[in-house]
Amino acid sequence: MVDPTRCGDVADALAEVATGAASGPDRARVLAHLADCPDCRRELEELTRVADEVLLVAPEHDPPAGFEGAVLARIAALTAEPGAPAVPAAPPPPPAESEPDPVVTALRPRRWQRVLPYAAAAAVAGLVGAGLVWQATSEERDVAASYRETLDVANGRYFHAAPIVDDGGTQVGHVFLYQGEPSWVFTVLDDTVDPGAYEVVVTTEDWSEPVAELEVDGSGGGAGATVDADIYQIERVELVGAGGATFTADLSGDSPP
Amino acid sequence: MSDEALLAGMAAGDADAMAAFVRRHQGRVYGLALSVVGVPAIAEEVAQEAFVRAWRHAGNYDARKAQASTWLLTITRNVAIDVLRVRRELAVEPAVVAEMLISPTNDSDRVADSERITAALRALPREQAMAVLLSVHFGLTAREISEKEQIPLGTAKTRIRTGLSRLRAMLEVSHG
Repeated sequence: MVDPTRCGDVADALAEVATGAASGPDRARVLAHLADCPDCRRELEELTRVADEVLLVAPEHDPPAGFEGAVLARIAALTAEPGAPAVPAAPPPPPAESEPDPVVTALRPRRWQRVLPYAAAAAVAGLVGAGLVWQATSEERDVAASYRETLDVANGRYFHAAPIVDDGGTQVGHVFLYQGEPSWVFTVLDDTVDPGAYEVVVTTEDWSEPVAELEVDGSGGGAGATVDADIYQIERVELVGAGGATFTADLSGDSPP
Repeated sequence: MSDEALLAGMAAGDADAMAAFVRRHQGRVYGLALSVVGVPAIAEEVAQEAFVRAWRHAGNYDARKAQASTWLLTITRNVAIDVLRVRRELAVEPAVVAEMLISPTNDSDRVADSERITAALRALPREQAMAVLLSVHFGLTAREISEKEQIPLGTAKTRIRTGLSRLRAMLEVSHG
């Protein structure tokens, strides 16, 4: 049974998850609670519907001429990549759109459907020239949307969490795993670890790959990525610091609930 | 053709479906982007990116959870507020824009399916409506709202939560 006081503890953050404005650590805290609390899952689902409806208040405006062609040109450029899904003919791209979009190119589905750190780097590199700069949180928000969708789809049944510990066995964070389409991994380090960048490495019986980069500041940090694997196949999640510090969540003895 | 059918076509790589989807929703997507970032050239980039993401994620769309329009607008909002977080000079006066969004003077530009939520937002205490709009529309956290509105953090959190809950109650009544 869920302790009702815990529901009260996350109520404010739950509303911000619904509006899409919650910080990464707040999202992780709420989602950890949701795993055990069907009432709050229902509350989040309802508040999210309301929040999404608020977006309807924005007035319509016609975009500049050529907008439709520019969108289709970007997509056509993406589908020109080897292995990309075929898309029938689209209007020829205008000069400014003639190169594959670096943001989405970097995010093409392959083993990892989205790789957050590389997306961020590619985003900054690719769009500065166009006078526009994205940042990593854009993909993080997409992942957050996947949290909600995955919880809806799986009804929280396949949510799983495990402690992340240092060499001495002291807990320094959490890893959250969700089974769904897509499945995903989200890691959170607390404020006791040294600030800096940590590579998130996922290992299954068959392979081991970096999937995200977690940036820790004075108050900790979180990062995640979707993965092309069932979560029960994941044996270990490691966070490898630039200075060599490694924190580990051992999942080898776990099975999905 | 329904939005659901178009999204299914997009997921299968049908460019005609994508073109039809863009034509149907471009005014709304561009309008939302413009209301968040305020600069036409950047709003166009945001709107393009939103459609590219819709194409990439079309296979994940679930009509049981959301209308296609709100699903697409959520994507647009996410792209737009991430631009704001990098280019803070664009977010000149979110509170002023938020006021304008529900102002009766804009009713002539309003899309028919927004009347219900617009009426509900107007029925809220102003400070709660503003907190909800700043959080949903501009992605401002409670902390950022508390700083902008010069109110305690706890008050900002309460306004968002209470505002959303009241909206839900009002929308449930109007559904009924």
